[in-house]
Amino acid sequence: TAQDLPPSEEGSHLHKRSQPRVLQPDLQQESSDLKDECKEFVNKISQYQKIVEGLIEVKDEMTKEVETEKMKAIGARNLLKTVAKKREAQQQQLQTLIAEKKLQHERYRIEYEALRKVEPEQNEFIDQFVLQK
Amino acid sequence: MPSKITFLNSRSHQDLVSCVGWTTADEVYSCSEDHQILKWNLLTNETTLVVKLPEDIYPLDLHWLPKTVGGKKQNQAEIFVLTSSDGKFHLASKAGRIEKSVEAHKGAVLAGRWNFDGTALVTAGEDGQIKIWSKSGMLRSTLASQGSPVFSVAWGPNSDRIIYTSGRQLVIKPLQPNAKVTQWKAHDGFVMKIDWNSVNDLILSGGEDCKYKVWDSFGRLLFSSSPHDYPITSLAWAPDGEVFSVGSFNMLHLCDKTGWSYAVEKTNTLSIFHLAWSADGTQLAGACSNGHVIFAHVVDQHWQWKNFEITLTKRRSMQVQNVMNDAVDVLEFRDRVIKASFAHGHLVVATSLQCYVYKSNNWNTPLIFDLKEGTVSLILQAQKHFLLVDGAGLYVFSYEGQLISAPKFLGLRVDIINAQGVSLSNDTVAIRDKSDEKVILLFDALTGKPLGDGKPLTHKLEMLEIALDQCGPSAERKIAFIDKNRDLHLAFVRHLSQEPKICKIGSMVHSIAWNDAANILCGIQDSQLTVWYYPSIVFTDKDLIPKTLHLKDGGEFGRTPQILSFVGITVTLRQWDGSLVPSSVPHYPAMLHEYGASARWEDAVQLCRFANSPSLWACLAGMAMANRELNTAEIAYAAIGELPKVQNIKFIKEQPSKESHLARLLLFSGQIQEAEAVHLQAGLIYQAIQVNIDLFNWDRALELAVKHKTHVDTVLAYREKFLQKFGRKENNKRFMHYAEGVEVDWDKIQAKIEVELSKERERDANAKSSSALWR
Repeated sequence: TAQDLPPSEEGSHLHKRSQPRVLQPDLQQESSDLKDECKEFVNKISQYQKIVEGLIEVKDEMTKEVETEKMKAIGARNLLKTVAKKREAQQQQLQTLIAEKKLQHERYRIEYEALRKVEPEQNEFIDQFVLQK
Repeated sequence: MPSKITFLNSRSHQDLVSCVGWTTADEVYSCSEDHQILKWNLLTNETTLVVKLPEDIYPLDLHWLPKTVGGKKQNQAEIFVLTSSDGKFHLASKAGRIEKSVEAHKGAVLAGRWNFDGTALVTAGEDGQIKIWSKSGMLRSTLASQGSPVFSVAWGPNSDRIIYTSGRQLVIKPLQPNAKVTQWKAHDGFVMKIDWNSVNDLILSGGEDCKYKVWDSFGRLLFSSSPHDYPITSLAWAPDGEVFSVGSFNMLHLCDKTGWSYAVEKTNTLSIFHLAWSADGTQLAGACSNGHVIFAHVVDQHWQWKNFEITLTKRRSMQVQNVMNDAVDVLEFRDRVIKASFAHGHLVVATSLQCYVYKSNNWNTPLIFDLKEGTVSLILQAQKHFLLVDGAGLYVFSYEGQLISAPKFLGLRVDIINAQGVSLSNDTVAIRDKSDEKVILLFDALTGKPLGDGKPLTHKLEMLEIALDQCGPSAERKIAFIDKNRDLHLAFVRHLSQEPKICKIGSMVHSIAWNDAANILCGIQDSQLTVWYYPSIVFTDKDLIPKTLHLKDGGEFGRTPQILSFVGITVTLRQWDGSLVPSSVPHYPAMLHEYGASARWEDAVQLCRFANSPSLWACLAGMAMANRELNTAEIAYAAIGELPKVQNIKFIKEQPSKESHLARLLLFSGQIQEAEAVHLQAGLIYQAIQVNIDLFNWDRALELAVKHKTHVDTVLAYREKFLQKFGRKENNKRFMHYAEGVEVDWDKIQAKIEVELSKERERDANAKSSSALWR
C-alpha cells in the first residue's frame, strides 16, 4: 500500500504497482504517526476503562457489604427493641402473677390470723375444763 | 386451686381459632379461619381433620346441641350449630357434614346458642338483630333489633329469657312478648362476651374496658374486677356455677363465682377468643389466635375435715394428709376426678365412671361402685348416707355403696340443682322446687317417697337457701330456710296433718349451716356470725331466742361471707376475697345438746352451773320445757331471772290432773288451740272455758259455755268484771243477749268452780288408783 512506496518526484507519487500516489510522503508519515498515537491512546483508554471497571466492581462489592451490614444493624436494632418490649410484656405478666400470689398470700395470712385467734380460745377452754372439773 | 394448662402440639390450625366445643369429656371440635374443623382427642393426644369447609365460610361461633333433649338421654352430642361471617348459620353433623345452611342475618352472624333443653336456637348478628329459630332451623321470631352489632348472647336458666350485648349495655329480654325488659350499663367499653349460668343464675360479662363483672339476674353488680392489661375476649361459666374462666391476651384466669381469682396462667398463645367447659366441669378448652387450642384442667383443689386435709394433686390422684401425725396417703383413681366431698368421716369421690367411698380411718381399701351416668354435679353427705346428683336424677347411697332410694317428682330438672336448693339428713331429702321457689318438696331418704301425706312445705315467699338439721329423732326433723326477704325460718318437716308451723327465728340472714353433731345452727346475720344454740326453742318459748344466740363480731369477716361448713366447734367461712376464716364457737352447747338428748338433766344443770353463761341456761330452759322436765326448767328459768316463767312453771306443776298439766304446758309455748282441745277431750269443760277467759278470748269462752250448757254465768261474770275494770260498756250483741237471762252471783260461781276443781282432782286420783290397780 501507500506507505510502503517511496515518494516520486514533482509531487506525483506512484504506487509501486504504478498507481498514482495522492498523499505527500510527509503527510503520510504524520498520519501514520497519528494512527500509532491513536492506537496507543485507544489502548490506554481501554486500560483505563478496565481499571475503572475494576474499581466499580470493588465499589459495588463494598456497597453490597455495606448494605448487608446496614440491614444487619437495623435488624439488630429492631431485635433490641423487641427484646425490650418482650421484657416489658414479660415483666407485666410476672407482675400480674406476683399480684395474684400476693392476694393468695393475703388469704393465707387472714386464715392464719383467724386460726391464731382460735388458739387462745381453745386454750382457755382447756384450762377451764381441766383445772376446774 | 390453680389450673394446669396443656397443649396438644400434634397439629394445629394455620389461622386463628375462632371457636371450640366439647362433644364428650375427652373430645373437642375447633373451627378456624383456615376453614378447617379439627377434632382434638385428649385421651390419645391426637388431632384429626374433620372437614374442610368451603373457602367462603369463615366460622365465628360453634355450639353443640345440649345432650338432654325432652328428657330422653343421648350419649353424645350429635349436631352443632356453626355461625359464619357470610350471614348464615349451619347445622352440621358430628362427621362434619353440613345438613342445613340458613340465611339468617345481614352481615356476620356473631353468636349462635342453643337453649338448655335444645329446643330453640338464638342467633345474634352484626345487623343488630336477634332471632329465635326452631331446632330444625325455621325462623320463629325476631326478638330484638338495634342499631349496633350484637356481640354475644346467652339464655337464662329456664330458657325463657335471653341476655344480649348492646354497645356498653346489657339487655335481658324475656321471650314472652310485652314482658318487661331489663337494661343497664355494664361496662365503660363495648361488652364483648356474656354468659349466664343456669345453676346459680348469675351473669358474667367482659368488655373492652379490660374488666369482667358478675351480675345477678336483676342486673345488680356483685363483682367487678380491676382493669386488666388487655380487653377481655372470652369467658365461660363452669356448668356447676362454682367457678368461671376468663380469657384475654396471653392470659387465662380461673375465678370463683364470687369473683376472686383462683389462678392466673400466662398462655403465650395471643388472644383467647372462645372458652368452653366440658360437661363435667373439670376441663376447659380455649381457642387461641395463634392457631392453637389450649386445654386446662383444674387441680390443687382442697377438702378439709377435722384433722385431714386432702388435695387433688393430679387429675387422677389425691393426697391425704393427716395433720395430727403428718401421715400422707396417696389415692389413685382410674379415671378423672369430677367431684368429691369429705364430711362425716367419709370421703366420696366421683370419677367419670365410678364412685369411690373412703373411710377416714382407712385410706387403703375404698368401696367402689360404678356410676350410671358420668357427670356427677353435686355430692351431699349426711351421717348415714350421701346423695349424688347426676345428669339423670338424684340418688341416695349408703356408705356401703348400696342404692337406698332415688327421689323423683314431676318437673325435676337435675341440671339446675345446686347446694342451696337441696338438703339431706339421715332420714329426709328436701328439694326446693325450681318451678315454684316457695315450695320445698320433702322425701323420705330411705324410701324415696314423699313424706307424710305428700304435701310439700309451702312458704309465702320464695326461698333462697334450705338446710335440714342433722341430729335427733326423725320425728323432730326440722328445716331452716332463708326467704327472699332474708328472713330465717324454722319448720318441722314431719308435721301431723295440720298446717306446718313456720316460725321466724332471724332476719337479714345470708348464709346458714347446721352443725354436724348437734342441732346448732349458724348463719351470717347482717355480716356478723350468729350461732343459734338451740333454734327449736322457737316452738316452746320464742321469747328466749335472743338469749340463746351467740354473736361474733362481724368486722373481721368483711362483706357477705359464705359459710362453708360447721363441723364440731369450728365454723369455716369464706370471705369475699376468697380467704378461709375458721372461727370457733363454745363447746358447751354441743355438750348440753348431748345431755338433753339422753335426758341427763342433772348433768345438764351441773354443766350450766360450771359454764355459768346465761345463753346456756336459756338453752337448758328451752330443752327442759320441750321435754316437759319442769324441775330443770324451773332452775334454768330462775338462773336467767325469768321470774314470771318460774311462777308459771310452778303453777303448771300444781295442776290437779294430767290433762290440765298438759294443757298448761301447751299454753306455755303458746299453743292455745291445742291446749283447749286437750281440755275438751278430757271433758274438762270448765277448764277449757277458763283458759279462754284468761286469754280474754270472750267469744270463744261464751261459745263453749253455751254449747256445753254450763258456766254461762261464769263467763258473764268475768266479762262484767273485765268491762268494769276498763270502764267500758258491753257492746258485744251475744253477751248482751245472754246477759238478759242470767243472774250473776259471784259466791255461787266460786262454789261451782270449787266443785269443778275438786271433781278434777278426784278424777285424777281415781285414774291413778285404777292404773295402780292395773299394775
